[in-house]
Amino acid sequence: MSRHQGRRSPFWYLRRGRRALESDLDEELKLHIDLRIEELRASGLSAEDARREALRQFGDLEYTRRYCHEQDREKEKQMARGLLFEELFQDLKISLRGLVRAPIMTLTIVATVGLGIGATTVIFSAIDAALLRSLPYADSGRIVRIYTDSPPNKFPFSVADYLALNAQQTRFEKIAGYASRSMAFTDGATAERVRGRLVSWTYFSLLGLRPAAGRDFVESEGRPGGPRSVILSDGFWRQRLGGRPDAVGRAVRLDGEDYTVVGILPPVVGPLEQGQDFFIAAQWTTPPRKGPFFITALGRVRPGSDRAAADELHAINRSIFPVWRVSYQDDRATWGMMDLKAHVVGDVRATAGLALGAVALVWLIACANASSLLIARVTSRRRELAVRAALGASRARVLRYLLAESSLLAVGAAAIGTALAWTGIRLLREAGGAFFPRTQEIAFAGPALWILAGLTAASTLLFGLVPALHGSGGPVEASLRSSGRSSTGSVSVRRVRRILVATQFAIATPLLIVAGLLLVSLNELGRVDLGFNTHNLLTATILLPAAQYPNDRVGAFWDELQRRAQSIPGVAGMTYSDSRPPSDVNNFNNFDLLEAPTPPGESQPVTPWITVAPDYFQLVGLNLLQGRLLDVRDGLRPNLESVVVDRAWARRFFPDGTALGKRLRSGGCSVCPAATVVGIVSDVKYVGVDKPDEGTVYAPMPPQQRSRYVMLRTNGDAAAVVAPFRQVVRELDAGLPLASVATIDELVSQSLQRPRSLSILVGGFAIVALVLSMIGIYGVMAYYVQQHAKDISIRLALGGTPHDVLRLIVGQGMGIVSIGLAIGLAAAVGLTRLVASLLFGVGALDPRAFGGVTALLLTIALVACLVPARRVTALEPAAMLRQE
Amino acid sequence: MTSSLPILQGTLDLLVLSVLLPGRLHGYGIATRVHERTSGDLAIPDAALYQALHRLERQDLVEAEWRASDNNRRARYYTLTAAGRKRLREETANWRRYARAVEAVLAGA
Repeated sequence: MSRHQGRRSPFWYLRRGRRALESDLDEELKLHIDLRIEELRASGLSAEDARREALRQFGDLEYTRRYCHEQDREKEKQMARGLLFEELFQDLKISLRGLVRAPIMTLTIVATVGLGIGATTVIFSAIDAALLRSLPYADSGRIVRIYTDSPPNKFPFSVADYLALNAQQTRFEKIAGYASRSMAFTDGATAERVRGRLVSWTYFSLLGLRPAAGRDFVESEGRPGGPRSVILSDGFWRQRLGGRPDAVGRAVRLDGEDYTVVGILPPVVGPLEQGQDFFIAAQWTTPPRKGPFFITALGRVRPGSDRAAADELHAINRSIFPVWRVSYQDDRATWGMMDLKAHVVGDVRATAGLALGAVALVWLIACANASSLLIARVTSRRRELAVRAALGASRARVLRYLLAESSLLAVGAAAIGTALAWTGIRLLREAGGAFFPRTQEIAFAGPALWILAGLTAASTLLFGLVPALHGSGGPVEASLRSSGRSSTGSVSVRRVRRILVATQFAIATPLLIVAGLLLVSLNELGRVDLGFNTHNLLTATILLPAAQYPNDRVGAFWDELQRRAQSIPGVAGMTYSDSRPPSDVNNFNNFDLLEAPTPPGESQPVTPWITVAPDYFQLVGLNLLQGRLLDVRDGLRPNLESVVVDRAWARRFFPDGTALGKRLRSGGCSVCPAATVVGIVSDVKYVGVDKPDEGTVYAPMPPQQRSRYVMLRTNGDAAAVVAPFRQVVRELDAGLPLASVATIDELVSQSLQRPRSLSILVGGFAIVALVLSMIGIYGVMAYYVQQHAKDISIRLALGGTPHDVLRLIVGQGMGIVSIGLAIGLAAAVGLTRLVASLLFGVGALDPRAFGGVTALLLTIALVACLVPARRVTALEPAAMLRQE
Repeated sequence: MTSSLPILQGTLDLLVLSVLLPGRLHGYGIATRVHERTSGDLAIPDAALYQALHRLERQDLVEAEWRASDNNRRARYYTLTAAGRKRLREETANWRRYARAVEAVLAGA
C-alpha cells in the first residue's frame, strides 16, 4: 500500500458498499461510451447511429461490468485485510510504547507470570512423564509386579517362590524376575564396583526390550550349569569397553569370573534399567529353604485374564505353602500383583500434587496481580479510551486495542516462561533422579509445549479480559464529563480489584502455611538425634569376590585391612558392619520369641538385623545400657548365637524391662538354634532419619562375610582420610574396588535432600505469592487514597485528626485482607491434610504455622496499607484542596 | 478498424502498462493512445481494456483515482504503481526476447 494512498483521506479506507462500487463502475463505463459517441458524431454520424456504433465497438458490456465489479470487490477485500493488519500493528506499537513507559509494572507482570508459566510447565512435564504416560515397554499395561502380600508390607519373592510361580502359572504369557547385584569389574588395570542386575532369561523379552547389538538371553543361559552370559548397558559398553564394535562375544570379568557378552542395550532404556551397568542371566536353583526374599517378580498377563491371574496367584501360594512350613510361618501372607507403573513410580502423588499446586497457584496469583495492575491502568486512562470511542472507534476496536497490550505482556511472560521451562526441564533430566521417578523421560516437547501454550493463552485472557471489558464498556459521555479522577464506574472497579486482592490473599495463605509446615519438618528432621556422634566418621563398602577369596582367606584379609587402616595418621579406629546409618539396612529379619511364640496365622515381627564386628559399638559410640557387648568369641560360635538389641527393641517386645537373657529364633526357622539377648544398647537410626525407632538387633559378623561396610573414626576431617585409605586398599589388592565412599554427615545430608528441595521449591513460591499479595493490597490502597484525597482533606480541614483518617483507611484495607485471609485459612485446614504424609514432627494443623503465617500476612498488609495512608495524612489539607 | 490485427493473448496487460508510463490517463484516453501509437494496426476491444484495467488495479499494478477530465467531467484516471513500473520493465524485456527469438526462427526459414 503506497504512502500516497494512505494519506489521501482519513476515511479513505471506510468500506464502501456494494452499491457505491457499482455506481462508480457504471459512471466510468458511461463516460467511455459518451466520449466515443461524441467522437463518432464528430465524424458525421447521427446521434442514434453513433450510439449504436459505440455500443457495438465496446463489445460485451454486461460481461465486462460483471467482471470489473468482481475485480473491484476482490480489491476491497484485500484492502480491508491489510487495514486490519495495519490496525493491529498500530495497536501493538502503541501498547509497546505505553508498557515501556511503565517499566516497573511491565517487569512485575512479565517476570511473575513468566515464572508461573515456566515453573508450572516444568512440574507438569515431570508429572506427565512419571504418572500420566505409560511405561516405555511393549504393551506395558499388561505388565504387573508380583509380590508376597503381607499387609502392610509387600515383600519380594524368594527363589523358591519364583520357581514355583514360573512352573505352575497358566494365566501369564511370561514370568520374569530381577534382583539387584553390584559386582567388581576388573579389566586387568583397574577395578571398580559396578551396579547391575541378576535377571531371569525371560526378562528382556517380557518387557519387549531388544539389545541394540547381539541378542537376547536364551533359555539355556538361565539353566543351572549353562553358559555364563551378560548383557551390557550402552553406557558401560562405551565407558569401560571403549564402545568397541567387537565387544559382543568377548568376555568381561565380574567378581573374578568371566561372563560372555551376548548383547548390548540401546542408549535409551526403561526406568527399570536406568543406571544399571550389566544384566546377568540368573541361574536360580531350588533352594533348601524358602528365604531369602530378594527377587522382584514380573508377569505379563494374558489379555483379559486379570481377575483369573490374581486368583491363580492365591492358589499357587496356597499350594506351595505346606512345602515350606518348616522355614516359613506367615500363612496370612498371600501373593498379589500390582501395575508395574505403580511399582516404578512409587508413592509420589503427594509430592507431585504439592509441587504442582504451589507453582500453579503462584501463576494464578501472578495473573490476578497483573489483572489488578492493568485495571488500575485502564481506569486512569478511561478518558483517553472514551475519546477514542467518541471519535468513532467501535467497542470491538477498543477491546482489541486493550487486548493487544495484554497479549504483549503475555508474549513477554511466555518468553521468560519458555526459557525457564527449557532450563528447568534440562535440570530435572540431569539431576532430578534423586527426587522424582522417570525424570529421564521428561522432554521439552509434546505435552510440555501444549501446556506452555495453554498457560500463555489462559494468562492473556485472565489478566486481559477483565480490564479490557471494563475499559471498553460504560457510558462514554459520563467518562468524558467527569474530571478523570473520580470517574463513574470507579465503584465497580474498586470492587473488582478488591475481589482480586482478597483472592490473592486467599491463595497465598495456604501456600505459606504449607511452606511453613515443610520448613518446620525440615528443621525437625535436622534435629533428629541419630544416636551417635555423626562427625568424623567415614564409610565405604568392599566386596571380596568368591573366586579370589576362598573362605579361609576372607578373615585374614579383613584383619590385615583393619591393622593397616588403623595405622593411617588421623584414623582413630576402624570397624566392620553390614549396614550403616542413617538409611542403609542390608537385611531385615523376621524372628520368633521363644517365650512368646507368634500364634499360627499371624505375622512374625520383623526388624533390621545388623551384623557388626565386636568393636563396632565402641567405635560408632553406642552406650551399653544393660548386659554386655558382643566380643570376638561370639562370632566364632555359630551354634550358640548371642545378639545385642537396642533399647527400642527391648521396650517393644519386653515393656516390663526383662529383655536381657531372652531367646529368639530368626528367619522363620523353627529348627535352627536360638539366639540369646546378651546386651541392650542405645538406639541408632538405620531405616531413615524420619522413621521412628522400632527396634534393631545386632548379631556378630561371621568372619567369612565377604561384603562389608568399613567404618573409620577419624580425629579430624574424615574426607582427608579417603585418599590414604584408598591407597591402603590398593596395596592389599589392586583389583578390589572401594564403593559408596561417604562420611556419615554426607549421608545424613543426602537423606534430607528430597524434603529440603521440596521446602525450597514451595517456600520460594510462597514468598513470591507473599510479595505479589503485598503489591496487590498496596496498589488498591494507594488508589483508594488517591481517589479519596479530596474527602480526606476536607475531613482533616474540618478538624478530623490524622489518627481517625489513618484508622479509616487502614480499616478499609485490612477488611479486604481479612476476608482473603479467612478464606485462605479455611482452605488451608482442608489442604494441609493432603500433604500430611510429607510432614515430620509437626501436625498438619500446627498452630505455630497457622498463627505465624496469619501474623506475617497481617503485619505485611498493615505496612502496605499504612504507607499510602500516612502519605496522605502528612499533607497540608489546604494545599491538597487547592490542587483539585 | 476492421483491418486491425487481433491482439495477442497476454500482451494486453503489457500494452496498457506501457501506455500509462508517461502519466495518468482515463480508460478512453488509453484506448485512444494505443490506437494512435499503432496507427490503427492494433485494436484493443473496449471491453477487454476495461477488464484489464480493473484486473491490474486488483493486482496493485495500477491505481485509480477520480479527477476532473479536460472537459470537466468526473473521470477515473489510472496511474502506474511502483509494482506496475517494475512489472512493465520485466514484461518489456520478456517481450523483446520473445520477439527476437521468433524473428530469428522466421529469418532462417
